[in-house]
Amino acid sequence: MNILSMLWKNLWGGNRTMLFPARPTVSKGYRGLVKFDPELCSGCAICKFRCTARAIEFKAAKGEFTWSYDPGQCTFCGRCVEGCAEHALKEGHTEHALSQESAPPPIYLHSGELKHAYTVKRKTTVKPAVKPDASPAVGAPAPNPATGGTQ
Amino acid sequence: MNLWNKLMCYSRRHSPWLFHMNSGSCNGCDIELVASLTPRYDAEQLGVRLEGSPRHADILCITGPVTHNAVKAIHTVYDQVLGPKAVVAIGSCPATTNVFIDSRTLDGPLNKHIPVDVFVPGCPPRPDAIIQGVAKAAEILAARGNNPPSTELSIAAISAAEAPADNSPLVRIQEVQS
Amino acid sequence: MNWIHGLVTPLARLLIFPGLLFAVPAAWFFLWVERKAVALMQGRVGPPFMQPFFDFIKLLGKSTPPRSGVGGLLMRAWPLIAVSAAAGAVGLLPVLPSSGGFEGDLILLLALLELPSMCIIAAGFSSRSIFGEIGSAREAVLSVAYNVVFLLAIVSIAASQHTFRLESLAALPASPMRWLGVLALLVCLPAKLHLNPFSLPNAEQEIYSGPMVEYAGPELAMWELSHGLEWVAATGLVATLAAPYITLWWLAALVFVGLMFAIVLALSTLASATARLAIDTTVRFYWQCTLIFAVLAVSSALFMRLRS
Repeated sequence: MNILSMLWKNLWGGNRTMLFPARPTVSKGYRGLVKFDPELCSGCAICKFRCTARAIEFKAAKGEFTWSYDPGQCTFCGRCVEGCAEHALKEGHTEHALSQESAPPPIYLHSGELKHAYTVKRKTTVKPAVKPDASPAVGAPAPNPATGGTQ
Repeated sequence: MNLWNKLMCYSRRHSPWLFHMNSGSCNGCDIELVASLTPRYDAEQLGVRLEGSPRHADILCITGPVTHNAVKAIHTVYDQVLGPKAVVAIGSCPATTNVFIDSRTLDGPLNKHIPVDVFVPGCPPRPDAIIQGVAKAAEILAARGNNPPSTELSIAAISAAEAPADNSPLVRIQEVQS
Repeated sequence: MNWIHGLVTPLARLLIFPGLLFAVPAAWFFLWVERKAVALMQGRVGPPFMQPFFDFIKLLGKSTPPRSGVGGLLMRAWPLIAVSAAAGAVGLLPVLPSSGGFEGDLILLLALLELPSMCIIAAGFSSRSIFGEIGSAREAVLSVAYNVVFLLAIVSIAASQHTFRLESLAALPASPMRWLGVLALLVCLPAKLHLNPFSLPNAEQEIYSGPMVEYAGPELAMWELSHGLEWVAATGLVATLAAPYITLWWLAALVFVGLMFAIVLALSTLASATARLAIDTTVRFYWQCTLIFAVLAVSSALFMRLRS
């Protein structure tokens, strides 16, 4: 008789349905659409290498780069965001360009409709070259930041 | 008769019957599709019924990147769905083959084979997103009426469609999926 | 002028009440009640009120696959036969007092009630699909299982009252034999109407809709309508047998509809409380458990008749 009491409770306890078109709010750690902040991006392209579905494309040009993302291709794994955060930490920054918003992607009617691209001008991160010291007694000349560091 | 047409349009919008087909998916999207019939999301409030036969359905919901084995089955089932019909590609696999891009076991995204009306992205999409997609497909279906969708089919699909009209029973699905 | 009266009354019964004009909206209404009750008991909202009507109209607007030859002709004919049989069965129900009828119309009612499931079986076989054959085989086994109890119950009620005329059966005072028969009929109703726990021929995801697998469009609309009319006919039969005799015609109609509503609610509760049983369990249930009672009912009816 358990089932009958369950049915009775369901009948008088009201339904638990969300009436269309209401949608439930997503949970805290929900991995949704990838959000890109052009101000913070350093153009390292780690996200493109880490992307499992090739949803992120990166094209480098002279002095600028194009970063594009197709939510229809994306599998929402979050590897791009992790890579961006790791790289930013290694470089000493506290903020990174990629994050995942807690919004599921919208439905669309034509293939490729959701793909969007940003063209970002490269920031100059290379310090200008410094003349080495004239005195040879200092020992080995200090490595020149202009030529010694890696890009 | 304008009244009859209006009634037919309204009925088509409010009575979308689905047939669900899996063309090689990981089953994540299939699980979310049947989750949309559960009490929390309740697709039946829109009149949605999950039917057992393609001949009964209006809307064909396809999951999965299209594997080679499934191509013929997709053509067969699409031809078996009658009258005004719509296709919903559920998940990002049928839209773009997602993580399986360039795999040699696949045969391209779904709209290479049949015309797709609504894409529901997500991996897997939430049940409420699937219901939104089905509602949009029902609207498209109602507006389409009896005019078949304009298609840009690939050559392979056209030659497959020109094969003798498929009235044979559904045994073929069983063969391909086993 | 008697022959006009003899013609008009049956026509009115067939076409107006409880015939087509009442039966078709009642079919849609009871289909909706069943879906809504099951949904509410499962904690969902369920379909809106006009849903079966919209389903019907939408199906009328779909195209049908081309059907060729005698097999195709038969496939188109079965749903029409099912709808006419179910509508005729509803038209025969003795709802209103002194509304005519003829000697032996109980037999005709039983035959007409039987035709829709015969048509389903034939339709599954004539669609020449494996799934159709499996579904039809299941429907046939189910039919054999519950029909024995169903027919024995009705025959025992009729035999105990010495009449096969529906009107007289409806007008008789209640007796324990009658209640036993009504109970047996209620037990057979879920199988007749393809409800859980005996909904095996309808197993949609298992066998791709079984006998209906090749049907589409207006033919499918006719099948759905015949299913709804079967609901009205079967629950109406139980309602007329269970209802007391009322002379006021509008009160009789109200009680009839009210009893049908109560039966539909009870069947929906049963449908949402149980799962689908396999065919062997179903047959075992009807032949082992309920057959005993049906045999007891018939033998006691015959015994009482022999004594009187």
